[in-house]
Amino acid sequence: MFSELLNNLINNTLDKGLDYFSAELWLSGTIVVMLLMRLFSIDRLVPTFIVGLIGAAAAGWCSFGQFADLIAANDPVSVSFFGGMLRQDLFSVFFRIFLSLFLILTIALTVLTGIPDNEDAPDFYTLLFGATIGMMLMASANNLLMLFLGVEMASVPSYVMVGFLKGRKASSEASLKYVVYGAGAAGVMLYGISLVAGILGTGDMTLLADRIRVVAEGGTAGLGDPEVRTVALGVMLVMVGLAFKLSLVPFHFWCPDAFEGASAEVAGFLSVASKAGAFALLVRFCVGLSGVPETANLMTAFGVGLGVIAIITTTYGNLAAYTQNNLKRLLAYSTIAHAGYMLMAVAAMLVMLNSDQAAGLGKAINYSIGGLLYYLAVYMFMNLGAFAVIALVRNYTFNEDIDSFKGLISQSPALCITMLVCVFSLIGIPPFGGFFAKLMIFASVYQAAQIHWAMYVVLAAGAVNTIFSLFYYVRILKAMFLEERPANVKSVPLPAMEGYYVVVLAVMVALLGFLPQLVNGLSSIANEAGNAVLLVIGG
Amino acid sequence: MVGETLKFWLMIAWLLPLAGFVVEIFFGFYSKNPRHSKAAAWCAVGCIGIGFLCSANALRIWGNANDWCVLEVAEHSNAHADPAHSEETHDADKALADHDHSDADSAKGQTAYSGVIYTLGVFGSLEVTLDYYIDSLTLVMFTMVTLIATCIHLFAIGYMSDELTDEYVDHSAHTADGGHVHRPGRFYRFFAFMSLFCFAMLGLVLAGNIFQVFIFWELVGICSFLLIGFYTERKTASDAANKAFIMNRVGDFGFLIGLMVLWTFFGTFRFGDTVVDDQVVDQGLFSMVHRDNTGNLTREEFTGDVLITDTHGHVLTNEDGSNRQIPYYLMVVVGLGIFAGCVGKSAQFPLQTWLPDAMEGPTPVSALVHSATMVAAGVYLAGRFFPMFVQEVLLTIAYTGCITLFLAATIAMVATDIKKVLAYSTISQLGYMMLGIGVFGWAAGLFHLITHAFFKSLMFLCSGSVIYGCHHEQEMPKMGGLLWKMPITAFTMLVGVCAISGFWVPFGLEFSGYHSKDAIVASALAFNYANPAHFLLFLIPLLTAGITAFYMFRMWFYTFVGKPRDQHVHEHAHESPWVMTVPLVILAVFAWFCAYGGESGRLYLMLTGDEPAHVAAGVTAATAGGIVLPGHDAIHAVHGQAGTWALIAALSGALIAYVLYGTSVVNVEEMKRQLAGVHGFLANKWHFDELYDALFMKPAHKVAAFCAWFDGAVFDRILHSAAKATVIVSKWDRVFDENVVDGFVNLIASATQSVGTSLKVVQTGRLRQYVMFIVLGVVALFAVMFTTFPG
Repeated sequence: MFSELLNNLINNTLDKGLDYFSAELWLSGTIVVMLLMRLFSIDRLVPTFIVGLIGAAAAGWCSFGQFADLIAANDPVSVSFFGGMLRQDLFSVFFRIFLSLFLILTIALTVLTGIPDNEDAPDFYTLLFGATIGMMLMASANNLLMLFLGVEMASVPSYVMVGFLKGRKASSEASLKYVVYGAGAAGVMLYGISLVAGILGTGDMTLLADRIRVVAEGGTAGLGDPEVRTVALGVMLVMVGLAFKLSLVPFHFWCPDAFEGASAEVAGFLSVASKAGAFALLVRFCVGLSGVPETANLMTAFGVGLGVIAIITTTYGNLAAYTQNNLKRLLAYSTIAHAGYMLMAVAAMLVMLNSDQAAGLGKAINYSIGGLLYYLAVYMFMNLGAFAVIALVRNYTFNEDIDSFKGLISQSPALCITMLVCVFSLIGIPPFGGFFAKLMIFASVYQAAQIHWAMYVVLAAGAVNTIFSLFYYVRILKAMFLEERPANVKSVPLPAMEGYYVVVLAVMVALLGFLPQLVNGLSSIANEAGNAVLLVIGG
Repeated sequence: MVGETLKFWLMIAWLLPLAGFVVEIFFGFYSKNPRHSKAAAWCAVGCIGIGFLCSANALRIWGNANDWCVLEVAEHSNAHADPAHSEETHDADKALADHDHSDADSAKGQTAYSGVIYTLGVFGSLEVTLDYYIDSLTLVMFTMVTLIATCIHLFAIGYMSDELTDEYVDHSAHTADGGHVHRPGRFYRFFAFMSLFCFAMLGLVLAGNIFQVFIFWELVGICSFLLIGFYTERKTASDAANKAFIMNRVGDFGFLIGLMVLWTFFGTFRFGDTVVDDQVVDQGLFSMVHRDNTGNLTREEFTGDVLITDTHGHVLTNEDGSNRQIPYYLMVVVGLGIFAGCVGKSAQFPLQTWLPDAMEGPTPVSALVHSATMVAAGVYLAGRFFPMFVQEVLLTIAYTGCITLFLAATIAMVATDIKKVLAYSTISQLGYMMLGIGVFGWAAGLFHLITHAFFKSLMFLCSGSVIYGCHHEQEMPKMGGLLWKMPITAFTMLVGVCAISGFWVPFGLEFSGYHSKDAIVASALAFNYANPAHFLLFLIPLLTAGITAFYMFRMWFYTFVGKPRDQHVHEHAHESPWVMTVPLVILAVFAWFCAYGGESGRLYLMLTGDEPAHVAAGVTAATAGGIVLPGHDAIHAVHGQAGTWALIAALSGALIAYVLYGTSVVNVEEMKRQLAGVHGFLANKWHFDELYDALFMKPAHKVAAFCAWFDGAVFDRILHSAAKATVIVSKWDRVFDENVVDGFVNLIASATQSVGTSLKVVQTGRLRQYVMFIVLGVVALFAVMFTTFPG
């Protein structure tokens, strides 16, 4: 009997699992190759980044193949593999493509800015790839154990990358803070997981809601029941772990310090990729908890709670960004604020998913997750663009303060225009991509507000915060375009390759707004992916 | 299949000049030595020359495919010219031609091919396309245009050769300080424009729908504009270019109205039916109106509206079951509108004044654009659109042509500029063609179009050769006695003069103009017999035939014989190089013999092959207008009579010219003084320019001046006071803005700023605190959860 089980497992793995896991395998293989290359000094002949780019491209290509298969299938597919540890659906494939693409863009950026140098390249790219694999696992996790493993696998390389500028004291300090804070959060999360799994007797996230119903013994689950209370506490503790990854208030303290200490490239990577993975995980976790009438009340309250956290996070991020002079720190707060906007989509999804009209709202629910994914896609380009400009300017001025950007337009228009497009998009000014992303999220919050009044507050807070954010973003533009270039600041020559790189990012941001085919195509794919993640509750 | 083959060859002939244009205008400029290279010219000649070969080949294919049946049938009918016989021969011919068609209207379906080249746009059930319509007229026009254009391109290589320089001195253009304009030569540009023109002109001929005609109509217009204004530094040239373009706009306005009516009532612009597998899938305009056996349009009995029919003459119905019809007056509007376009393009009265001014362009342009092809496009369109014209429109066309031909001929008698004489002669001859079409001599008008194209382009090129030989002297009073200085030019021009005068030569060697003009005069005479009230339509052309001979021989005598009047010019005059004389000889041969055989000759029969179906029989029953139109028999009956009179008129005109200018019997200057009033009136072109100046320009200036005053005195004052008011308001606004709005914004900003600053306090950077915040955060969340979540 055991051998039969083993055979089944092997067959399953060989049949489907390895295929589904091919992107991660490619990345892992690339890590091995990179390390071996250094061992045999091949990296002197072939630059490591070329191997890295090939590996990332291969991962992207595999994911794209899976994507094509899933789109070609008539019915949306969602299957678990590796013994229920991971889940394969359009949602996880979407994130695999997203992360592969982002990995390629990041590698390209590091090549252009020259961090890391040749000596350190294998180490750096190994860490980068390891973190990416962790994020991919987060996006396809189907089990609480994988949840924890994914988060840690993404976090540990990140700690090292933040401290990668070995010579700099600030970098090491940031890294240390990040590690200790991360360890604390991880401990809390692990405790939460043990509570949840212990009470409910399973780690499979898709079964959580059903098990809570069993625990609640037929009645509506509420905090009055001590077992449900314990589960709620566990869920909350897991949330704390995720909130750390998402840098939600009040678990955001590491973020500004880590970003300031890390190089701009790493900060850009963390601000987008690790957020993307954490949001994927959060959506899967929340969906797993929803879908049965008994938990509806509890989960609606949970959604509203997330909405409140979103309000606090957005407002806090935007207001705290006001007085920052270091651009990376400013963008760290901006990242916090944007996490708040995206959390609004999850809150809206939870509220709609757990209302009694959920069946009729299927499209709107898809739309809310789709909005989140669209936001992430645009965010990838606009945030990376902003960090890239900072990194490129830093290479010439050795400074990341807003003052070093003064009057840059006279020296490097390409960088300034890119920054302009990215910042306008971050603010959400039409017709750039950020506007449509924000519009989609606000639209689904509005839909959710038809169900629960509190979401109106969330909507209003989102709108007001958009205005708040205007002030500090425009400060950057004002410095670049309107002020005189101070005499003592080093000049930034118009870069050639670097210029093309940032312009490509800016064009993507613009096209995601200008080009209706692109907007419609991406958002419909995002909605499809949103639909896929809901399959587990038979939606 | 034949249609496809014809389309293939004609498309090549049509598109090659466009390719040539692109090459010349871009690579001409970028080549190594653009100002000195003749490459552009040879490129242009090559394109149009190959175009000629393709067209001729297409003509041959068409003939073979139809077994030249049209020609033989027509010859057959011509052999029995007597009226009694011809009626039944005609019927027999029709039966012969219609052996697979029951309907007489579709007889020409055998020889006309039409179809779609490219779809421009689809609007519901309506579509705008580029079509082709190929019948014998198209093919003859194609061959004529490409042949003449080839000759003229060749000629222009010699004529424009002084542009082959980096530093061209334009003696007719002056700078502000009184000196001559110096500019780089524009040899390649000239040929680029000429190629573009050829493309546009051939496109116009090939066009399968009236809208496409309009597109190319405008394209030839713009080419004409560019070429008239080629010496753009000369004010006269740029003014002339503007005048030509603007006067054409007046006509095109009518054209547009016609198009709108057509679009509204017929829903298509296409001429012919689109036939797929012998099924009519898309009906064209020509088959939508049906003519009964009297030659009149089928009309609703009570309202008199013209009924719109299918190809077999059955009335089409609207969706609600009522008959589709178009009010009769709108058919007149359509005809007059389209004709208005023709009036502008063909320089007919009252829009004739632009053509003489257009002579400011280089002489090859005058030969190609302003005599042989573009100006004839108006006549071509009138001929092409003939099936849609009702009697009232035809009468208008006839009278317009009649007035024009007389008017222009009289002015030509006193003009002294050699090119102006030819220009007025062109207007006059175009008038003949219009008259021919108007009096139902459809084939006669188009016949004259072809013959005229040859002899008039010949004469223009001859005049170009004279001008070139005399170092850009155009005034005839300064010439004289050039006969043996430039013999080839002189004798080829004599051929042209004889041809336009319409001289008869025994043994069938008649000049082409003899045949074509006789055909028109005969049609006019037949029309006169049928409608005695319109006798002027015969008398004036007859008289003008004499005038034509007079002014043409006057020009020839003035230029080539007599004593040299200006020694300087005479001494330096020389015969032109071979590139210029060879085209002259080629054209002279065609000018003499292209109409060989007259109305039993191939050219005429080709043209009649695709004659609109109702022309042969004429319109026998008079309608509201009271006009009866003569058929072929009626015209044949008076042919000999008309020809004799026309020949007498021409001979006497030539004789008077010889007496006045060829001998010194009469003192011409003395005569001029005696008839100073008449001479002045004619020399001032009947005062048309002054009349238009007084009628349109002056009032327009008055209105403009009034508008300027009104603008300054009223509008500006209103605007200024509005501006002042705005300034006052904005001053108040500023106060409000600075204190209230800004205050509010600043309040928010400073409030948020201070919140931001206070938030900074939390971010201490102390790790111990951060970890403690985790604990605090968890506990706080837990507390919140327990107090707010449902129990």
